[in-house]
Amino acid sequence: MSATTPQKSGRGHWLDWLERRINVTELFSVLSHFGFVYTPVDNTRPLREVWDEVLARPVSSYLRWPRVLGLVTAVLFGVEALSGVLLACYYQPTPATAFATTRTIARDVPLGWLIHQVHAWGAYLLIAAVTLRLLRFFWDHLYRAPREVLWVCAVAMGWVVIQLDFTGRLLPWDGHSYWSVVRGLEVISAQPIVGPLLSFLVAGPLVTGDMLIRFYVLHTMLLPALFLGLFFLTFATLRRVGLSGPSALEAARPARTVTYRDHLASVVTLFVLLFAALVTLATLLPLPFHAEADPYSTPPATRPPWYLLPAYALIQGLHLPRWLPGSALLLVSLAVLFLPAWLRRWDTPGQERRIRTIAVAVFGVWVLLAIAGVFVDRLK
Amino acid sequence: MRFAIPAALAAMLALWGTPAAAQDDTAAVPPAVAAAEGRCGTCHPKERVQFERSRHAQERVRCVDCHGGNADALTVGAAHGAGFTGKLAKPAIVRMCASCHSEEQKMRAYNLPVDQLALYQLSGHGVRLAKGDLRVAVCSDCHGAHDILTVRDTRSATYPLNVPRTCGKCHGDSTTAAGRGAKENVFAAYASSVHARALLDQGNAHAPTCTSCHGVHGAAPPQYGDVNKVCGGACHTEERRYFTAGPHDQRMAAKGQPECASCHSAHAIGRAKPERLATVCADCHTAGSPERALGEKLWTDYRSAAQDVEAAEALAAKAEAVPINTDDYRARLEEARTYLSEALPAAHSVTQDVVLVPTQRARSVGREVQSEIREKLGRIGANKLLLLVLWFYVGLTIVVVRRFRGDRS
Repeated sequence: MSATTPQKSGRGHWLDWLERRINVTELFSVLSHFGFVYTPVDNTRPLREVWDEVLARPVSSYLRWPRVLGLVTAVLFGVEALSGVLLACYYQPTPATAFATTRTIARDVPLGWLIHQVHAWGAYLLIAAVTLRLLRFFWDHLYRAPREVLWVCAVAMGWVVIQLDFTGRLLPWDGHSYWSVVRGLEVISAQPIVGPLLSFLVAGPLVTGDMLIRFYVLHTMLLPALFLGLFFLTFATLRRVGLSGPSALEAARPARTVTYRDHLASVVTLFVLLFAALVTLATLLPLPFHAEADPYSTPPATRPPWYLLPAYALIQGLHLPRWLPGSALLLVSLAVLFLPAWLRRWDTPGQERRIRTIAVAVFGVWVLLAIAGVFVDRLK
Repeated sequence: MRFAIPAALAAMLALWGTPAAAQDDTAAVPPAVAAAEGRCGTCHPKERVQFERSRHAQERVRCVDCHGGNADALTVGAAHGAGFTGKLAKPAIVRMCASCHSEEQKMRAYNLPVDQLALYQLSGHGVRLAKGDLRVAVCSDCHGAHDILTVRDTRSATYPLNVPRTCGKCHGDSTTAAGRGAKENVFAAYASSVHARALLDQGNAHAPTCTSCHGVHGAAPPQYGDVNKVCGGACHTEERRYFTAGPHDQRMAAKGQPECASCHSAHAIGRAKPERLATVCADCHTAGSPERALGEKLWTDYRSAAQDVEAAEALAAKAEAVPINTDDYRARLEEARTYLSEALPAAHSVTQDVVLVPTQRARSVGREVQSEIREKLGRIGANKLLLLVLWFYVGLTIVVVRRFRGDRS
């Protein structure tokens, strides 16, 4: 191989030099585990050959609605990771400095406001993408064999983004975020067994400096690592079971097959469009910057984050025991995780319709309770 | 040895079980009048109990020092024998208390003043008593008879927070007040005042109470011409400075009108409300008079300045939510608030030029801050146009990427 490479164009010279010292193709194949290339890569051949083949290989594109939701999730996670690293260059997670450094980022650092707003808006969009993807999986019965692992990964991703939201919410240490977390912890730590255990893991029931640093570690290290692990699992499964068939939503249209080169171009376009959309949202609809947290005064209209609002509505409105709604929420989410096992035998068209009807009803109740959670304090 | 542990446990239990006897706090209090010092308490147990809590008991004053008689006698006849005065009449009470409290040799050790009798004789109470009016207050009406405590003791009737109720025993009793020809229930009026809010609700012992304005032992209503000294001598000094420089001071004194109380009332003094500038003049001046017009003008000037400052504060809050650094603006708005609070004392001069100085300063600071914040917010708004550039480049990128795709396909 070394004899043939020098007469090739100068462009590839450094690659050949590297190829003699390290298996570059093997390094490249790592990327394939995270969705960059989702076809198998032959580690024994030089990278240029593999790359040319990958580009020319026909693939069934997942860049069409609703399969694109997975890729949107991956791109948004990338944006969040990148903007998060930039924020971490200035942010200091202690009660004395958290608010001041966040304000420095948003107010004094050049373009800091943009990074901060993009990170916040990206979080909303990421949660929306993960949720939509889960709903779409459910609607198209993609929890059935052999896609159980994909379903479990999708549900786990939902959990992780919600925990990323909950932990990231506290970090700015403003009045709004602080009390929102206090209210959220009231719902969470009221559960039997799980509540005290979680409280212990995040340093007790009081929102203090110890909790702030643990939330920071969770938000910037453990949970993103977990999310990456779920990506790895998702793509490992995808390579084995293949992309999902046409959705029930687009049953009339056949799946399109394109070259990988076209696919890559579309990924770049998607990334650019998403990034521009985030910058536009951050500029035109900036999220308000609140005053510093004061543990001795609760701002009016403080309520837990939206995903805990149904439980909050039940606790505040119906005066149910504190431990009950949180536990019910946990049980429902565990039931969703094991959906493939529950619904193994419900496979006739009539039964599938019934599953959808029940799910729509449950989802409707959930949305109504969440809306009630917004107004439950105002009614008193 | 084998009984050592049970014995220790028993001892601990015994100690634990007898705290009431062991911690009897009467032991810590200095001995009052011991039984050996007099037998009066045998027949007068209620008075004895009251007296033993009093300041006098700590100083070993005895029953016979005030009431005469023989404290060591074994019969009532002997105890109430030679020199016994019993329950004293009101004029006698004053003289009896003064027999010690006007003696410098006796009071020097306690660092107490000895002019109470002289002051009392000059007071409204003392003057009426001298005329034979026995309904007036004497020493025991305010200080108590047997249970006299120091003014610093929170249980004392003369502790600042308790003074309104002590005076109110007579001045808040409508029957007594009507008998004297009083126009209002003074206690009820005071209880509705801003002074009472500070004293009684917030527990501020330095807030004005009855004695702050009327005096203590020499208590009397202030004379016309003295009211502004009472209110402005130590507390509302700025208001007094402007008031005495204005036309009201001389003319009110000449007409026999109580200066501050004419607008603020004597006892039911409310919180300072700037909007009263527009209405309070109507109490004396007729509609269409230049004085009424001046009052309305003062209120208009103040209100427009306050509105400018409030608008600037609202803009600063909006800027903080962006966030924009507003530390400098906050400091300047504090300054504007100070000017506004200077305008209210200045209004006591009832002279437009004097009031205009602080209101115009407040207004100009408010407007400056508004325009500077608007400029910064506008600059951020203009930045939104840069989005057009962003989307132009996004379009360009998409075109280039499509070309990259089109090359090979």
